[in-house]
Amino acid sequence: MNNRVRELRGEREWSQADLAERLEVSRQTVNAIETGKYDPSLPLAFKIAKLFGLAIESIFEPGE
Amino acid sequence: MARMTQKHYEKRLILAMLVYMAVLVADGPLLHATANLPLKALLAVAPVLPMLYVIALMWWRIRDSDELEQRTQLVALGVATALVSAISMVGGFLVTGGVLHLGGSVLIWVFPVMMAGYGIAYRQVARHYGMGALCTGEGSSWVPWYFALTGVLMAALGINAWRHRNLWDAWVFAATAAFFVILAIVSRVRLLRARRMAGKD
Repeated sequence: MNNRVRELRGEREWSQADLAERLEVSRQTVNAIETGKYDPSLPLAFKIAKLFGLAIESIFEPGE
Repeated sequence: MARMTQKHYEKRLILAMLVYMAVLVADGPLLHATANLPLKALLAVAPVLPMLYVIALMWWRIRDSDELEQRTQLVALGVATALVSAISMVGGFLVTGGVLHLGGSVLIWVFPVMMAGYGIAYRQVARHYGMGALCTGEGSSWVPWYFALTGVLMAALGINAWRHRNLWDAWVFAATAAFFVILAIVSRVRLLRARRMAGKD
């Protein structure tokens, strides 16, 4: 699955640690999501979408 | 609920392991000096207490983890459980077949082997997800010192066994001491390297 988490975080000038704190997850988890090594659960994806004020499908899209 | 950081977890784990080693060292002479059976039984199981704390610590750590950490830890525990089960079964069949002659005391090794398997599996699974405390410099600086101290203790036990002409035990302790000293050096180098890289970011 591809995602725009790194891009959206960059736009807000947040570090991975800042985003991790807001999402109540570890910095490693944020890194794993951004690099596409881990696809978040639906509740966490909703949390990410809510934090960025966007719909889930505009952040996450199925990979090829 | 406040998350337990890797550093706090490792510090508590190291303290528990130091208590475990202290109890283990003190327990032998006390057991030999005691004739009272209930007291002997209590002394015999005394090292289990710090191990129960370690199990509780692991439980708290997993409970307070996020979803990816939980997945990583549970996969690692699954791998470790499968590893120990397989080794136990192979050992059991070898003893039944008369190939190996092992006493009941070999069961003491079940928990340490499981923890070692868990540690190795955790590193592998964490690496798969691009995580891992030692790779981020977030681990405790106590870890290399703990490994070094354990190595020194194992070496001392090995010398003691050698003095009592118990060559098999001396060999096992010497190999364990060498293993822990190498582990101390490797973990110290990795920690310094990770911190240097974190400083560059």
